[in-house]
Amino acid sequence: MADGLINLTIDGAPVSVPPGTLVIEAAKQAGVLVPHYCYHPGLPVAGVCRMCLVEIEKAPKLQIACATTVTEGMVVKTQAPAAKDARQGVLEFLLINHPLDCPICDQAGECELQDFVFQEGQARTRYAEFAKRFNPVEDFGPDVLYVPNRCILCTRCVRFMEDVAQEPVLNVSERGDRAFIGIHPEARLDHPWAGNVVDLCPVGSLLSKDFLHKARAWELDKTASICTGCSQGCNITLDTRDEVVVRVRPRPNLEVNRYFICDHGRMHYKWMNRGDRIEAPLVRAGAELKATDWDEALDRVTAILRGTEGRTAVALVSPGASSEALALAKRVFTGFTWTGAFQVVMGEDAPLAGVPDLALRAERAPNAKGAENLGYTRDYAPALAAAKTAAVVLVLDDPDCAVDTNGALIYLGTVLGENAACRRADVILPIANVAEEEGTFTNRDGRTQRYYQAKPAPGMAQPAAWVLGQLAAAMGPAEAQR
Amino acid sequence: MPIGVKVMKRPIKQTSYLRATLKGMALTFSHLLRPKVTMQYPEEKSSKDWTLSSRWRGTHRMLTDEQGRAKCVACGLCPQICPANCIKLVPGEDEEGNRYPLIYEIDEFRCIFCGYCQEVCPEEAIHVGVHYENSEYSRDRFVYDLERLSAQTHPVSTLWDPSDPKGE
Repeated sequence: MADGLINLTIDGAPVSVPPGTLVIEAAKQAGVLVPHYCYHPGLPVAGVCRMCLVEIEKAPKLQIACATTVTEGMVVKTQAPAAKDARQGVLEFLLINHPLDCPICDQAGECELQDFVFQEGQARTRYAEFAKRFNPVEDFGPDVLYVPNRCILCTRCVRFMEDVAQEPVLNVSERGDRAFIGIHPEARLDHPWAGNVVDLCPVGSLLSKDFLHKARAWELDKTASICTGCSQGCNITLDTRDEVVVRVRPRPNLEVNRYFICDHGRMHYKWMNRGDRIEAPLVRAGAELKATDWDEALDRVTAILRGTEGRTAVALVSPGASSEALALAKRVFTGFTWTGAFQVVMGEDAPLAGVPDLALRAERAPNAKGAENLGYTRDYAPALAAAKTAAVVLVLDDPDCAVDTNGALIYLGTVLGENAACRRADVILPIANVAEEEGTFTNRDGRTQRYYQAKPAPGMAQPAAWVLGQLAAAMGPAEAQR
Repeated sequence: MPIGVKVMKRPIKQTSYLRATLKGMALTFSHLLRPKVTMQYPEEKSSKDWTLSSRWRGTHRMLTDEQGRAKCVACGLCPQICPANCIKLVPGEDEEGNRYPLIYEIDEFRCIFCGYCQEVCPEEAIHVGVHYENSEYSRDRFVYDLERLSAQTHPVSTLWDPSDPKGE
């Protein structure tokens, strides 16, 4: 075993962990999940829920696994009768006032209280004759509702706002059985990262208004993806129900976003479900655009590219396109005098104070760094001017592009506005959006991260990388074009 | 060469059908004297000897509360358990903040009448009914919406009770 590690035994399994590790984390390495509520790896340890009680040999009493650090030769028994008994007692206390309205609770199916009661709670209550505490639902902020009846006072939300967001607007008000999560009377839970309290809440006490009643947890399909909200590149999970994206949740990545995403990213999914999509390739026939199949549309593009005299090309791309698509959009124009540019929408910076190097970045472009690496430039205005005289202009996934050209215009996009400049394109090719394709983004720190397909593309739309790959293949190998 | 057919010589006692006819008619007429079991459906729908079982699983009925609203809270368990995938449910919220079904539709053609929806319902809202007369003039009338399900008045099924397997 490596030096500097501490050896201990958890439920009979030997594990070696660095000094200072908490027993609950060491248990995860042994494949044991100690039931817990107040503990969260992204928050300071509070030790208030008493749910993670375990037996440790030679310790006089049961210890809480979330606040006990490992020592050499420690023997931990999570399934000892005394520990199970104590945890069952904690669950019984929690259930005295818990409303058990699971059928109408949004958390049902992903509720830690449900899971652990099912795992080791008792089936019946001994407090049936007393009425449960009742408090009305409170409106905490733009996207957060507080249902005090369901609260188990784990204080994860309080600690998140205090230590991670560093805007302490929540507290535990009152005491004992009257305790509830209180909010500062003059404040709202409107911090740009406040939505994380909904994910942190182990029960259905803090709810997202956006997701309220939208779907049950067991109906959701989950797909690993990357947030397109800004250039930070937070890892997310796209939750889809019947091929509609209904929710975005953070996916832990200790190197990028830890356990959190900002509210901008959390709400940045509705455009993925747009209904007014281009569903078939369109080619110009006189003044009209005619829907056609892929073979004809791609042949038309190849003919345009082969037939141009000027051999100058401008690519105006979206920094939200995958690196694969961007690379192929360049390869299509091998042999041309090529200019590639992208435009970045700027917004407000919103850092998360408690986590270094994590913020909602002002640059609202998930793949700006990737585009730069591939030779695209940020000098958008000169490229737009150059487009006027270029022989071929390719617009990739930028419906609002104010392009004006005398040459041929090829538009690859998801949507087409009523008065969009791209309406006068010679060929319009429908492409998939980020939820409908696989690809990679390179974030501002140069980390290349992959995202996966969450739902099918509408109609005949294909991933931009496939379309541009077909074109590049049709144009033949690079040396043949000279 | 003609095929030779052997003709058996039998006594008349064996070849006469008179005895058999009389025997058959005796049975027929004896039924006139037996108790009547025919029921005049549809004027009569049950008799003292025959009723529909209380465990019969027929077309659905949604129970309502005192205010006449459906008891359903749109928890989503019935569409989840339904093996025929015949229940469509879209949850919503009413003015008082209660969760209720915006859309609740059961396609009775798709339904296999297993009764799982009734078994799984935590609010005892959706039930399969003791009911079998379902004729309609068009196929789309067999998609029952919430209003129609709530308007049904037939008795609901008691389903099979494991503690009383023979229904006694």
